[in-house]
Amino acid sequence: MKSATTCLSAWLALAAAALPQTVLIRGATVHTVSGPDIASGSVLIRDGKIAEVGVVVKAPKQARVLEAKGLHLYPGMIDSATDLGLAEITSVRETVDIREIGDFKPQLRTIIAVNSASEHIPVTRANGITSAVVLPEGGIISGQAAVIHLDGWTWEEMAARPSVAMVLQFPVIQQTPAERTGPSERRIPYAEAKKRYEARLRELDDWFERARRYQRARQAPASGLRPDLQLEAMLPVLERKLPVVIHAVREKAIREALAFAERQKIRIILAGARDADKLAAELKAKDVPVILPRVLELPLNEDDPYDRPFTLPAALHKAGVRFAFATYSSSFSRNLPYQAATAVAFGLPYQEALRGLTLYPAEIWGLNELGSVEPGKLANLILADGDLLEVRTQIKHVFVRGKEVDLNNKHTTLYEKYRNRP
Amino acid sequence: MRRKEFPVYRVAKHVTVKVLAGVLWSVPLGAEAPAVYAIRGARVVTGKGPILERATVIVRDGLIADVGAQAAIPADAWVIEAEGLSVYPGLMDALSSLGLPEGSPATQRRPEPPSSAEAERTEDVPVNSAWVRAADLLNPAERRIEAARNIGFTAAATFPMRGILCGQGAVIALAGDRPGEMVIHPSAGLYVTLTTRRGGGFPASLMGAIAYLRQVFLDADHYEQARTIYNRNPAGLKRPEYDRALEALLASPRVLLPASTAVEIARMLRLAAEIRRTPVLYGGHEAWRSAELLRESGVSVIVSLKWPERDRDADPDVEESLRVLEMREKAPATPATLAKAGVRFAFSSAGLTDRRDFVRAVRRALNAGLSEADALRALTLHPAEIYGLSDRLGTVEPGKIANLVVTSGDLFQEQTEIKHVFVDGRKYQPIAISREEGRP
Repeated sequence: MKSATTCLSAWLALAAAALPQTVLIRGATVHTVSGPDIASGSVLIRDGKIAEVGVVVKAPKQARVLEAKGLHLYPGMIDSATDLGLAEITSVRETVDIREIGDFKPQLRTIIAVNSASEHIPVTRANGITSAVVLPEGGIISGQAAVIHLDGWTWEEMAARPSVAMVLQFPVIQQTPAERTGPSERRIPYAEAKKRYEARLRELDDWFERARRYQRARQAPASGLRPDLQLEAMLPVLERKLPVVIHAVREKAIREALAFAERQKIRIILAGARDADKLAAELKAKDVPVILPRVLELPLNEDDPYDRPFTLPAALHKAGVRFAFATYSSSFSRNLPYQAATAVAFGLPYQEALRGLTLYPAEIWGLNELGSVEPGKLANLILADGDLLEVRTQIKHVFVRGKEVDLNNKHTTLYEKYRNRP
Repeated sequence: MRRKEFPVYRVAKHVTVKVLAGVLWSVPLGAEAPAVYAIRGARVVTGKGPILERATVIVRDGLIADVGAQAAIPADAWVIEAEGLSVYPGLMDALSSLGLPEGSPATQRRPEPPSSAEAERTEDVPVNSAWVRAADLLNPAERRIEAARNIGFTAAATFPMRGILCGQGAVIALAGDRPGEMVIHPSAGLYVTLTTRRGGGFPASLMGAIAYLRQVFLDADHYEQARTIYNRNPAGLKRPEYDRALEALLASPRVLLPASTAVEIARMLRLAAEIRRTPVLYGGHEAWRSAELLRESGVSVIVSLKWPERDRDADPDVEESLRVLEMREKAPATPATLAKAGVRFAFSSAGLTDRRDFVRAVRRALNAGLSEADALRALTLHPAEIYGLSDRLGTVEPGKIANLVVTSGDLFQEQTEIKHVFVDGRKYQPIAISREEGRP
């Protein structure tokens, strides 16, 4: 009986959610992020956007009024690096679609590979993450990253930015193969690994040079140029319209990536940069934003301080480097707020942590419609019963593009199933 | 120009001897026929008691017949005038795979099941080839034997090294025509490693390897009990199955356990107590941290002379951890620390076959505070004691096997030349091809 009621109410909620809504959220503590908090404020959602924000907002006719006294309203969180929709069960090869064969594939649009039915999507949004950057991996130029909203029947519906950046895995000297192909873990001799790395660096520069020649030929009148889809995909990068996400972990790679960006005159965003604290001043001077490596991680080197991953966000903040939090995962994307929470415990100002989950990623990825609670922005909003960074806090309502979404997911289904076991 | 010709001639002579040896099986490589020798007027470092400044060593029938200033020289003796030369007990390598053909199943590092040579039987567990015996696999012509002898080694404990329970070692003389005559003792101990099997297969982790070891020794104890009960009164009892691996385990006088770091040393001492076997630890590079624990346990350690070094193939940009750097810095202090604490230790040459490399490795221990006498003991008497053979090996005393090294001076000086090596009373002339000379 109880479960029947639950089902019915869930269905009703779903049916209501499916309709375009005008919703007035009333009496919540509004964390605008961009401005001061409003202790007891209201937010009006109309046509998928935030229409009004204030202490007193009048409810229009037929608006659904959501009494949110005691709840905290935040902009939805943005995970700046995920495999959402690409990797379902990482140890089952058939469910993992994060890389394609080949070293240079700028034409690959990751958005097309996003599986909108992934179980991880409802799980993730139930914890307040409403948008995510999906990054491809593998090779040197891995493909184009996308931004998705965590609601939609198809990838077309989910897409916020089908192409937000080009993804580049910066070559490093690697003596153990990165992509394990078999059980053998043969170590490559250093000299050979170095040669391979140098060749890859050369290839990378050559590739950009080719793209640049293609660009010139394309501009020349009557050149009789045959279109090349790979090089065509590089044009927005050369025109600085599309930034390049460079995945570079250690100091040497980061340094070389910065030099590369300078040489090629491209806009870059660093990802996975675990040694970013060593180059903080330079990153600040060049205004290169950093997608933080996972905070909840073991130190990179054996002799590093145990808390180096925890203090990295604070170090970058102190140096004035722009940053955003990320999980580099699909199944653990839901833990995004706790990455930020740990950074706060290790020196990052609270407001900065909150911005690193919302406003900063929106700025870094050029998502002007997201990241704060302001009129005119997209209504990606969450209502929580407490502090967003607190583990015990429950997310009560999630709106994606103004539509309240179902918070049921695989975790809650299993929870109910086993709770009701006779 | 003249200097360049000389080594070529030497190499040529060496080759001729080898070819001859191939034809005439009974002529040992570079050796003179066994006879009675009198090494006269040498400085004799007996390895036990004071150094005899001008003494004579009499060798007869492979044994040391007499040592002393007044030793009578027999009429049939081949007299070696050794004025200004030094006589040392022949060196013994405490842990090696000498005499076991390289690349043979016994010396491969990979823990794979024994191949066709010792065909795996259904009842055998993988990575357990405890029944493999070094003494049965010896090859007198194995090339490393001669190389080791040339730098003064006359005996070695040699072990099969594949698997986890790799097999039974043997103490061998580093010369001989037939495998059988080389064996000084056929049961030196069971060589154990903690290698894991990558890419599937049990055990895939250290925990698995140790659990596996525990199980095997429990099985052996059970096997023995069952056998005892059955033998007491077989009537009416189902006979226990014969298991060659467990038989070999039960017959082994000791186990050699891998332990380099302090954690590993403590762990292996606990394991040895648990399985109730006499252990000898090998590796020992961080034993300077565990000297007290080792002294209390009374367990001997075989310290590898291959001191930890930076991997030549390492990426120069990768920072090394303090732990690795400290180990590299302090490992050569292990022998001095153990000597001071009264822990018995022996050296394993760890494959060093170049005299200069060998001397340098020993010198690193000397520079870290080890006395020359203790260094010599770690290469002579101590390995003999560890394997229970100090009644026949390890010192220059009457009655012992005539394994001797005759040098131009101090054994642990680089410029010292090795003049003669005696193995089982047979004289060998080291054919020293140092690295420079060997090059055309």
